[in-house]
Amino acid sequence: MMRIEFRLPSLGADMESATLTQWLKQPGEHIRRGEPIASVETSKGLIDIESYDDGEIVDLVAAPGTLLPVGAVMAHLQVEDGARAAASPEAPAASAPAPAAPAPAPAAAEPAAAVAARVRLSPAARRRAQELGISHETLAHAAAAAEVLHIEDIERLAHAQAGAPGDARAAMRQAIGAAMARAKREIPHYYLGHTLDFGPAQAWLAQYNEPRPVSGRLIESVLIVKAVALAAWRSEGFNGYFRNGRFEPSAGVHAGAAIAVRGGGLVAPALIDAHSKDLPTLMREFSDLVSRVRTGHMRSGEFTAATITVTSLGADGVDVLYPIINPPQVAIVGTGALRDAPWALEGQVVIRPTLTLALAADHRVTDGRAGARFLRTIAELLAHPQEL
Amino acid sequence: MDIRDIRTRLLELLTTIAPDIDAAHLNPQRALRDQFDFDSMDALHFATAVSEAFGIDIPERDYASLASLESAAQFVLSHLPAGA
Repeated sequence: MMRIEFRLPSLGADMESATLTQWLKQPGEHIRRGEPIASVETSKGLIDIESYDDGEIVDLVAAPGTLLPVGAVMAHLQVEDGARAAASPEAPAASAPAPAAPAPAPAAAEPAAAVAARVRLSPAARRRAQELGISHETLAHAAAAAEVLHIEDIERLAHAQAGAPGDARAAMRQAIGAAMARAKREIPHYYLGHTLDFGPAQAWLAQYNEPRPVSGRLIESVLIVKAVALAAWRSEGFNGYFRNGRFEPSAGVHAGAAIAVRGGGLVAPALIDAHSKDLPTLMREFSDLVSRVRTGHMRSGEFTAATITVTSLGADGVDVLYPIINPPQVAIVGTGALRDAPWALEGQVVIRPTLTLALAADHRVTDGRAGARFLRTIAELLAHPQEL
Repeated sequence: MDIRDIRTRLLELLTTIAPDIDAAHLNPQRALRDQFDFDSMDALHFATAVSEAFGIDIPERDYASLASLESAAQFVLSHLPAGA
């Protein structure tokens, strides 16, 4: 048996800290990998974070109500020797919160100057970090998400570390801003759009829903998510992560579904293995995700698992949504509003429900030609909804 | 069950499926979608809750009747099974 640290995981490149609201396990209790260990409040709302290991809770270090930086030790677990080696493949987007091979714990009070030797800080940022007393761990974890830390990053960290107030909406906005700034800075996006006749999908859906009670019906978004997931599974270069200078494809398609959070902002938790699930199953899981976003019971694994994202502005949307890739993913598909429009069909102009798909993809991984094939595959699948 | 009971029950259902809405400032005449960023999944959850709570079937073509709290109340009132 060996003792390991349970650290606050990063639930995406945009997360710096979280407030522990409640422990869901007590010392002496057994915990299984994937089981929630604690509930934390983040800029994305209340999230249940899951254990990466099977083991027994030794002690709980962090007290409820405490604001913790990403990477902070929260608890100690007793696990089987070597169990950690196989830890957490499904938490890939985390900015290395819990190294697979636990490094010896760094001295807590390691000064910023010493850390700067490993973490790349601009000179002004280094000085400011020392002045503000930013902890080693905070710096190290922030550095995992960015190449070089600049002075404004340090100010943000200080803000987070101090638990400065600032309402949830501002925190969410800041988190989105940080992730999107990184996306725009690092990812050479290219964009492609394609309008399709959604008539076959709509007709199929109406026929499917007609005899069913409300609770058994499907909605358009589920068809779209399934089509994108299947197309991503059949294509190369759109499903996975760009990390450490190269593309790492993912075997399964974990489709992130962007869900608006009321009051502003959005989250994009994952529908695991969306490509291989039938529509009723996907619908149930999607429905469950939205409910949990609304009631504040997201699970940490869901935030870091998405390998591609689908986003929509819904019925109130506009014709086209040009999305921004959620790093370290390499593609995102945005859908505009479903809209009746003139459509050329067999030499006639007819009115059809149309949908415009927009793809943003990473030029380090694919080119426009592959992107066009990917979008056409999605359109083709939506034209034959019975095969989804 | 009169229209006031229905309104009260609908508000309960609404805050159960979407506890993050600001129910104190709800305008019963205005579309939920416009007031609370209701998306298609929220709308379906609301339709499911209404259908189950009042024991009425709500075909897809009638979803529009559930757009606002007041239109939903009127819809429920006119579709309640006899004796309810």
